[in-house]
Amino acid sequence: MQEEVINLKNEALAQIMEVSSFEELETIRVTYLGRSGKFTSLIKRIREVSPEKRKQAGLLVNEAKNTIVKALASQKNHLKESARAWFDPTVPGIKPAMGHLHLVTQAIEEISALFTQLGFVRNRYPEVEWDWYAFETLNMPEGHPARDEWETFFVDAPANPKFGQMVLTPHTSSAQVREMQRVKSPPVRMINIAKCYRRQIDASHVPMFHQFEGLVIDKGISVANLKGTLDYFARNFFGPERKTRLRPFHFQFTEPSFEVDVTCGVCLGRGCKLCKNGWLELGGAGMVHPRVLAAGGINPEKYSGYAFGWGVERTYMMKSGLQIPDIRLIYGSDLRFLKQF
Amino acid sequence: MNITISDNWLRDYLKTKAASSKIADALSLSGPSVEKVTRLKDDSLYSIEVTTNRVDCMGVYGIAREASAALPAHTVKASLVPLKSKSRQTFAKTVRYLKAEVDTTLCPRFAAVLIKGVKMAASPEWMSQRLERVGVRSINNVVDISNYIMKELGQPVHTFDYDKILKGKMLLRPSRKGETITTLDEKKHTLPGGDIVIEDGKGRLIDLAGIMGGTLSAIDDKTKNVLLFVQTYNPLNIRRTAMSLAHRSEASDIFEKGTDPELISLAIRRGIDLFETLTGGKAEETILDIYPNPPGAKTIALDFDFISGFLGTVLPKHQIGKALTSLGFEAGWRGKSLSVKVPSWRLKDVQIKEDVIEEIARIWGYQRLPGIIMQGALTEPLVDSPFGFEAKVKNILKGYAGIEVYSLSLVAKHEAGQGALQLANPLGEDSSFLRTSLLPSLARAAGENAGVKEAFHLFEMANVYLPRKGDLPQEKMMLAGIFVNTGFRQAKGIIEALAEELNVTLGFIPEDSQYFQPSQRLLLKCSNKFLGQFGMLETGEIYYELDMALLKLGIQPRQYKKIPSHPAQIEDITLILPAKSRVGDVIFAIKSTSPLISEVVLGTIYNDAYTFRLNYQHPQKTLTDSETEKIRGTILKILKRDFGAIAK
Repeated sequence: MQEEVINLKNEALAQIMEVSSFEELETIRVTYLGRSGKFTSLIKRIREVSPEKRKQAGLLVNEAKNTIVKALASQKNHLKESARAWFDPTVPGIKPAMGHLHLVTQAIEEISALFTQLGFVRNRYPEVEWDWYAFETLNMPEGHPARDEWETFFVDAPANPKFGQMVLTPHTSSAQVREMQRVKSPPVRMINIAKCYRRQIDASHVPMFHQFEGLVIDKGISVANLKGTLDYFARNFFGPERKTRLRPFHFQFTEPSFEVDVTCGVCLGRGCKLCKNGWLELGGAGMVHPRVLAAGGINPEKYSGYAFGWGVERTYMMKSGLQIPDIRLIYGSDLRFLKQF
Repeated sequence: MNITISDNWLRDYLKTKAASSKIADALSLSGPSVEKVTRLKDDSLYSIEVTTNRVDCMGVYGIAREASAALPAHTVKASLVPLKSKSRQTFAKTVRYLKAEVDTTLCPRFAAVLIKGVKMAASPEWMSQRLERVGVRSINNVVDISNYIMKELGQPVHTFDYDKILKGKMLLRPSRKGETITTLDEKKHTLPGGDIVIEDGKGRLIDLAGIMGGTLSAIDDKTKNVLLFVQTYNPLNIRRTAMSLAHRSEASDIFEKGTDPELISLAIRRGIDLFETLTGGKAEETILDIYPNPPGAKTIALDFDFISGFLGTVLPKHQIGKALTSLGFEAGWRGKSLSVKVPSWRLKDVQIKEDVIEEIARIWGYQRLPGIIMQGALTEPLVDSPFGFEAKVKNILKGYAGIEVYSLSLVAKHEAGQGALQLANPLGEDSSFLRTSLLPSLARAAGENAGVKEAFHLFEMANVYLPRKGDLPQEKMMLAGIFVNTGFRQAKGIIEALAEELNVTLGFIPEDSQYFQPSQRLLLKCSNKFLGQFGMLETGEIYYELDMALLKLGIQPRQYKKIPSHPAQIEDITLILPAKSRVGDVIFAIKSTSPLISEVVLGTIYNDAYTFRLNYQHPQKTLTDSETEKIRGTILKILKRDFGAIAK
């Protein structure tokens, strides 16, 4: 049998070397390897071989078969273009219908994943909220001029004797005291990413938008910790070479308060046409005001904390360098827009 | 609030060699933020954002003080040139030229001085130019002086025509509801009550204090004697009046933030100087000053270790002291304790230890603080967090070619649903209610793409707001979607596939409802709870919605099922169903016939002929032809009896 196999192999190889067309190769393939080809019938006869030699015979047949398969393939590639079967690999594929997640969802997923790695816990808080959580406990008593900045929507519903009027939450900061009350005692590491509402509409403002808010409270939390977290965020979200800086600002619910800038992605802080002075404004941050801690039932003598809250849309657009001329597009439903992301 | 400061004017009080760009940088990094520097031929204008707590920075002098502290931290020498006055007038509780009765809860400090023999004229060019550069129209020397002081010191100042204050008397009191006054801009206001007003000796209202003067006592071309008037008002009254009358002025914007009563002495002396120089007038020897309760000194004690712990780094003690004194604080160390006396112009703003640390750190330079991620224990993660599940559902729908939208939760009344919450101050009619269903929003979203001929599927995941009596609304997370140019079976298949992928057993129960075409709506049910609906809208699109919390509850853990050791017998059966048959019920009947039927799939429908593919599967063996034939026979018998179906 061994001899028979070798002869058959050599015979096939000799024929393969001489062909000049694709059709001939196909005929050879059928003759030797087809369903009733010469090798196929040879394999059927392996049973006849004595048991001790059977394994070896099997190996030999397989080896011969593989050699022929390779020779066939190699010869196909050596045939001239004209002799080949025509196939056009430039034909476009047929794609499945594709769906799209909204820009805001993509941004939220990224931001959320990043802070989860630092042990921040994401939760959800009321979007329709009492004045108490939106302003009062954030050190903005009734009548305080700082409230003007928020352009708040009020709900036409009876005020609560303790919690005051019902508002659409104008910022994610209304979750701060809620989270302190939920956790009861520090550590607090909250990330709240939620809808916010403000009474404004133009090319760069929409009445509904998203913010993400970080809140960390523990013993010995410092400004350096806030800076460390912001730098971590900038490196991981915007890119390893990006840095942040703090500038003085004022919010009633943080003391001190900061405005946070990140180095421009184009010039990395040197200053260019795009950014003017090397820095782009990210948003607000600060050390939690002792009165806010106290309002949340946390002893400000024992604990300190930091918080930051920024716009999701703005931050994401800054990252990707997306130039969306009118933010209202994001909250429209034009397929030609939605399908771009 | 944004203010404009002229560089030339600033250098009256700021001694430095720093260029305007350097001043802008230093201020931005250590003080109020300079948003823009506009260069003129012989001057530069800073546009500066002053936060509500820093009313002391509303004028040139305050900015000079900040810059003199900020610049050294950025390696440029600078110092404040104190404002000096030539005025030697004295202050007294009573004066001969004016009898004033003042409610000091409304006006904690009331100062005025009579200036006689004023000659009305145009202002000198240097003054009108400075004013116009910072956006104030020059009117005449008297009006310009009051504006100049406000721009320079951040202290609003008013001037009366003295001879129009009848009987030389003033009564400063809260207004009564319904009183009227006409202000300098010729607007007549009906007062809500509790506004700060001044009436003269004949009971006429001559001033809407802190907002705008009245016409009755206004300066005019013939004015000879001017009452220069400098006050501190209760910020809450000012704010309430400005808001309720919707009448704001630069003065009210400043007063509502609470000005420093100590600043009044400087402002009135500065006024006297300017009046005597520019109008030829002569000030009386005594300034009326009703100031019964000057604020006491405030001292804040801090510990060195607290400062270091709060900042996360150790600053040299002498640098801490230096930063504070450069801003006008008095700072003294005793061992590790620091005692800080707050200057009058920062009393409202600097009240606690953290406020003092801010002053230290910003002048030291935030850029010099280290960045260190916090250590310590972590918070327990949420039990049953919804976010992973929500992301999963969105991703599944995306995989089925769904396109996600975010639509505004504020809708028009007719879209809002019964009892929906209404906004007290909406932006417009079409966004005045909080939605209780996503249907109208998605119908609108579909409508925005009316020209599209291809099939598409929009979906949204958002809260609806369901009102509750005496409480915040229930915020229910809903998944909703709309299929356009899509067949009923394709759309329904997506919901079925979603349920299958989540391993939720969904029941579909036909039930008609508003907005849907008759017989084309299904309630979605899972273990006896209704969690949503699906159906063909009257407008031709297909809409569905699901309660996300209930959907999540419906998830069954995946179980391992033994892989059958023998292949199933598969066969197609075509049935002719009578008109108005429900094929869902037919499939259910087939499945219920025998446990050996492992799968029934509806294939093609051709007129009234329905082809089903049946899998016969025994867990341990291959079924024989006679066994399957027996089952098939039973099926056909039941279908004929219950549905009138005939095998083809």
